[in-house]
Amino acid sequence: MTMNDLPNRARSISSLRDFLELLEDAGQAITWSDAVMPEPGVRNIAVAASRDANGAPAIVFDNITGYPGKRLAVGVHGSWDNIALLLGRPKGTTIRELFFEIAGRWGDQEAQISFVPEAQAPVHECRIEQDINLYDVLPVYRINEYDGGFYIGKASVASRDPLDPDNFGKQNVGIYRLQIQGPDSFTLMTIPSHDMGRQIMAAEREGVPLKIAVMLGNHPGLAVFAATPIGYEESEYSYASAMMGAPIRLTKSGNGIDILADSEIVIEAELQLGERELEGPFGEFPGSYSGVRKAPIFKVTAVSHRRDPIFENIYIGRGWTEHDTLIGLHTSAPIYAQLRQSFPEVTAVNALYQHGLTGIISVKNRMAGFAKTVALRALSTPHGVMYLKNLIMVDADVDPFDLNQVMWALSTRTRADDIIVLPNMPAVPIDPSAVVPGKGHRLIIDATSYLPPDPVGEAHLVTPPTGDEIDALSKRIREMQLGALS
Amino acid sequence: MTTTVCGRCKSSGAVTDHQGRQDGAVVWTILRCPTCNFSWRDSEPARAIDPAVRSADFAVDAGDLQRYPKILQQ
Ligand SMILES: [Zn+2]
Repeated sequence: MTMNDLPNRARSISSLRDFLELLEDAGQAITWSDAVMPEPGVRNIAVAASRDANGAPAIVFDNITGYPGKRLAVGVHGSWDNIALLLGRPKGTTIRELFFEIAGRWGDQEAQISFVPEAQAPVHECRIEQDINLYDVLPVYRINEYDGGFYIGKASVASRDPLDPDNFGKQNVGIYRLQIQGPDSFTLMTIPSHDMGRQIMAAEREGVPLKIAVMLGNHPGLAVFAATPIGYEESEYSYASAMMGAPIRLTKSGNGIDILADSEIVIEAELQLGERELEGPFGEFPGSYSGVRKAPIFKVTAVSHRRDPIFENIYIGRGWTEHDTLIGLHTSAPIYAQLRQSFPEVTAVNALYQHGLTGIISVKNRMAGFAKTVALRALSTPHGVMYLKNLIMVDADVDPFDLNQVMWALSTRTRADDIIVLPNMPAVPIDPSAVVPGKGHRLIIDATSYLPPDPVGEAHLVTPPTGDEIDALSKRIREMQLGALS
Repeated sequence: MTTTVCGRCKSSGAVTDHQGRQDGAVVWTILRCPTCNFSWRDSEPARAIDPAVRSADFAVDAGDLQRYPKILQQ
């Protein structure tokens, strides 16, 4: 695989299988064929892999004890190198470059959506409508040791608006955690502000059915772009296609929902109106367990899958995990775009940490104290409203993706009174530091330099050499160092 | 040996949802507690499923299921 082929190769991906093949060619996917117990073996291997945030490979298990012939993939989006390959960039591309790759794609491409007749859609190769047993289809395992059950952690759930079912744009695709509750049932965790939460409440209020299709093992672009805070009336399929610059093939599920034609597995299900079952705990992205709650329950009506399907799942828990590489860049990029509509002085946004519970924003100060104004605007972006808890503001000469530089700014450009604490603000319910779930404090640290009328002004900075020449030299030093080993 | 006592809420009466087989022999069983909805595999490490050694921090009080909040209330 040459470097020049990468963008075309990435655009030609139409399924998880295509992507695994690309990853394997690039040394970024391995097959685990030693016998492994579902617990704790799968978790141990997934956690060990995710220690290498830059280079971890996807792992395909094909010999899990008690699941003969079944395949499980974890870590598909588990490293920056895997994300780089998905975006058509070479391994070793920096996080900053990947950020600008995504930020630069806005409005760049038209969506390319095509429809495949159900009879020709690979996802419908095998169909189960009787005696449904999810445990027969999915090689599940306990993701964290005190999870309340066996979770499907990387499901893209598609649904139509129960009050406007013919509207393509109002179809919703989102990632929600599902806990299996017996062979043909599962609970789905959501909150009222998420699209699925809204749809469940609308269906229950009006007494109308809510049917969903749970897609597993999908086009790898969907998981990246379907978890995005975009407008409710924008189709996630169109958006993912435009952002990938690649066509997406849809078909219909048996219960009438538009689904990806090339997914590995689709579970069709219907909301049990008004019913709730105990759900949780689940080891969530802040690195702590959620509580036990009573959540909506869905009854499975059919399952479709490709021949010899691959069940794709995720390790999520105390970071760094696949969850961080999966959603980090695409959490950061919309905040950047939204901020720049008001403040073109914003030069980059790093909201990689715990879904943006901590974010770092670089900005060209327009006037003294301006960075604080920008920080307050960030808190009112769609993601900022709930998630941006700690904000560190740095100057444009600091790369927010380079934590050594951020620490330099904190060390030399922050006065102890250059912080703002906003008490009793909205908070994500699963933030363990909240005062009460759903309510907590925000922190803004202004680590930008001083402008008039501030009496101190900018320090006389040392300017070490930078640029292409220094980048090339540092690469050469690294090569010489590696060469000395061989 | 498979027990039907729930490791989380100590209720009895767990139901068998699935059995994993390898070369024809049952190698593990997945059980589910109808009281607290805990699901487990009998091959898991004791600290996750054995009521005698499992952490009390993750216990569910079968006598007070009312305390667990219901999400998405109108
Ligand atoms: Zn129980």
